[in-house]
Amino acid sequence: MNFIFKLFNAIKSGMKHLFMRRLTFRYPNQKLRFYGDGYQYDPKEGVGVAGYRGRHILYLEKCTGCSLCFMMCKGISQAIQMINLPEKDVSINKKSNFPQIDYAKCVYCGFCVDICPFKALFETNEYEIVSYDKESLLFTPEQLAIKPKYKGTYEIQYGKRGAYHG
Amino acid sequence: MSEIRTFPDFLKRLIIVLGGLLFLAIIIFGVLIYTVPAISNFNNILLESFSNPIVMLNYLDSLGVGINSLFFKIVIFPGYTWAALIAAEIIWFERKFLGKMQMRVGPLYAGLIGGILQPLADVVKLLSKEMISPGRSDKLIFYSIPLLINAIGAALLVVLPVSEGWLIMRSDVSILIVFAVIGFAPISVLLAGWASNSKFPFIGGLRGLHQMIAFEIPMLMAALSVVLLSGSLDLVNIVQAQSSIWFIVLMPIGAIVFFIALLAELERIPFDIPEAESEIVVGYITEYSSMAFGNIQLGTYIRFYALSGIFTTLFLGGWYGPQFLPARFEIINQIEWFTLKTLLVMVIIIILRGVNPRFRIDLLLRFGWSRLLVLAILNLFIAIMILQMGWFPFLGGI
Amino acid sequence: MSELTISVGPQHPGSGHFRLIVKLDGDKIVEVIPDPGYVHRGEEKIAEYRNYIQNIPHFERPAIHDSSNILFAYVQAVEDLMNLKIPERGQYIRVIMAELNRIIAHLYYFAIYGIFVGHSTMFMWPMGDREHFIDLAQMISGQRVGFAFLIPGGVRNDIPEGMMTRVNDACNYFEKRLTEYERIFMNNPIFEKRAKGIGKLSKEDAIKLGVVGPTLRASGVKADIRKDEPYAVYDKLDFDIPVSKDCDSWARAWVHIEEMRQSMSIIKQALKDMPSGPVKLNLRGQIRAPPGEAFSRAEASRGAVSFYLVSNGGMNPYRIRLITPSFRNLIAIPHILKGLLLADIPPAFWSLDYWPVEADR
Repeated sequence: MNFIFKLFNAIKSGMKHLFMRRLTFRYPNQKLRFYGDGYQYDPKEGVGVAGYRGRHILYLEKCTGCSLCFMMCKGISQAIQMINLPEKDVSINKKSNFPQIDYAKCVYCGFCVDICPFKALFETNEYEIVSYDKESLLFTPEQLAIKPKYKGTYEIQYGKRGAYHG
Repeated sequence: MSEIRTFPDFLKRLIIVLGGLLFLAIIIFGVLIYTVPAISNFNNILLESFSNPIVMLNYLDSLGVGINSLFFKIVIFPGYTWAALIAAEIIWFERKFLGKMQMRVGPLYAGLIGGILQPLADVVKLLSKEMISPGRSDKLIFYSIPLLINAIGAALLVVLPVSEGWLIMRSDVSILIVFAVIGFAPISVLLAGWASNSKFPFIGGLRGLHQMIAFEIPMLMAALSVVLLSGSLDLVNIVQAQSSIWFIVLMPIGAIVFFIALLAELERIPFDIPEAESEIVVGYITEYSSMAFGNIQLGTYIRFYALSGIFTTLFLGGWYGPQFLPARFEIINQIEWFTLKTLLVMVIIIILRGVNPRFRIDLLLRFGWSRLLVLAILNLFIAIMILQMGWFPFLGGI
Repeated sequence: MSELTISVGPQHPGSGHFRLIVKLDGDKIVEVIPDPGYVHRGEEKIAEYRNYIQNIPHFERPAIHDSSNILFAYVQAVEDLMNLKIPERGQYIRVIMAELNRIIAHLYYFAIYGIFVGHSTMFMWPMGDREHFIDLAQMISGQRVGFAFLIPGGVRNDIPEGMMTRVNDACNYFEKRLTEYERIFMNNPIFEKRAKGIGKLSKEDAIKLGVVGPTLRASGVKADIRKDEPYAVYDKLDFDIPVSKDCDSWARAWVHIEEMRQSMSIIKQALKDMPSGPVKLNLRGQIRAPPGEAFSRAEASRGAVSFYLVSNGGMNPYRIRLITPSFRNLIAIPHILKGLLLADIPPAFWSLDYWPVEADR
């Protein structure tokens, strides 16, 4: 008898969910909303600013080519290499060395942002980096300098009939 | 398409034709032949006189394929096309229903609303794959099992009474035909596991054999008590004996026994041990690909519909609506009552799938041979007692 | 008489990435020999080539959905060596992140348990509810899976505004979900038949074999590192340790559910009691630990994880020894699977919460 009572409880619990809202997030039509502008780091205070760790953004006029980001990533995933761009004439960058990031290898840990002392490398909200071949996943410094356009408005909300993405 | 060199190759071709193209062709042909003349305006000389639907139907009658003919009954309405359409509907409905219970969407992108063409997309996908078999399997048996499973499902549709005058074959021993056809099911499962020549299908086939044989006997005894109460082996007479009170009210234990045995025969969760255990991959259908797999799925779902229909006939009063309903429900006639009740039984089986985990084979066999058989025999005694006491004088018409 | 040896192997839907060599007699199991090492990649050796900060994404990879707890032990070992004192606010945020991670890992446990028993609803519900907590973790740390949030010296960034309301919403919602889980899964009579009495591990055997974590607590031993040797701010928070006296698979699943409840109450208390201040010590320059040894333990979601760190004064650690809870629980697998049936293997060994990547490192 106990068996039937517990089975009935299970069925009742299952039927209750027929009247709840679905949690599914319909990806290409709906995009998630991130608070803030991406992960940033303040070298004077020594703490980061909370944000999403997506694609990097490089401020060319602030980068001095010190290669600290390259040295940090050398032990993690070797995604950053320094290349020489002689046509970019930035006054504080004497040798014109800028970092390029290979997103086939990057693990988005954000330690390159933590180590940069000149506020030249931050991370942004964009995460949709796709391509048909591996070579186009290698982002040159000019590609990294473009500010991405990501706009998302959906997040989890709690309603009377359950939680949903709205 | 590949060449046909041996008999198993011919069977392969037959599976593809039967499963995919014939299914689509029957539906399209069967629907077109009865609706196009009524709605279109042919300018053809030959069909000029047929733009009138009544003339068209008379013409079809003279050919032998009219609405009341055997061809229509077998192929179109309560026959294969109807069952196949309901099977495709139920596949879609099950996925959406389980999705809603699990707080997610089911199929969404195929078709205009809610992924309703998803079964069609599945059929097209299965048609485009290559049909391979393991190297040292027994090809003859391997490729005839999908056809057998389809045939079992289709053969059960022959005696299913959709309404009082509308069934394919009416015979005096309908219930025996049903149980004889069900008896083929364990053989097909065992042979599928054997012919695949691989250890996971073999384990699944043996488990399926044990499970189905263990649950056929309580099913038979529950049906036996129904036969006792109604006094005949004919399914139409059984329904007519329920015209004032349904058998589920008189014998609730028998109905529950039959229902649980039904779940085990159909291999639905919580009894789907031969089919989908996380430890024997998919069980006896592991090695089947392309349209052979599609045929097995189709045959299983047609058998699901047919056996739910048998349950409705035996216990839920067949095509009779409840007598206490007000008069405005009289436009729902017999066919629709039958279909409604069968669909209700199927929905209950789908709900049980969403809420329960799977049994283990030794617990299942212990349950089937000890508890369920005892309940079935108890139910038989109750039926005999009802008959002898004479409380319902219209029963036991022998 | 006739013994069949099959291998529930790496390519199998019911095993995870390691091999179990099973000797069967009909359907009964005679002996089980686990064969780990399929995903061994030498993490302790790789760690000698990276400095202390570069080791952080490295050491969160063994159990990626439980990463903050393993990093907890690592950063405490490094701070022991360097004699650092972390600010209060940083400790509270570390505790919040660790408890969020514990809930995420336990929900994954239930989802896979659902698949192994054949309960598709119990697979979908925990995976859906995990979304709420992964969103919370992403608001704090910036990533959904590999957080890399705890570093020697504190945490990487402060909590954004408005976290308190969101955490409260999620915890209230999840409390109601836990009652539904109990109704449809834990108290489901068919699941009770499959889990009660299966895979018994008595109290004496558990202590003798040296298992850790929820396995130990489900066998009647009240042992938890958060209460026995409190680290961070666990001694200031008020919570309970669930212990169960029946030592079977059902008790282990029950312990997991109760731990999730306690984690939620810890998170709410920590958010309320958190003082203001800095979250991180500003260690200018690279981290260079003085020569010495350090040992530290933490309570991960699967049990006790321990780090033993030897340094010779350089930029890289000289030797790191990492013992994960799955490695300690590996010894219990042949013990509990003796005498069961073949169909019991996936549910019974998963109730020990064995994660092959963590055990192989």
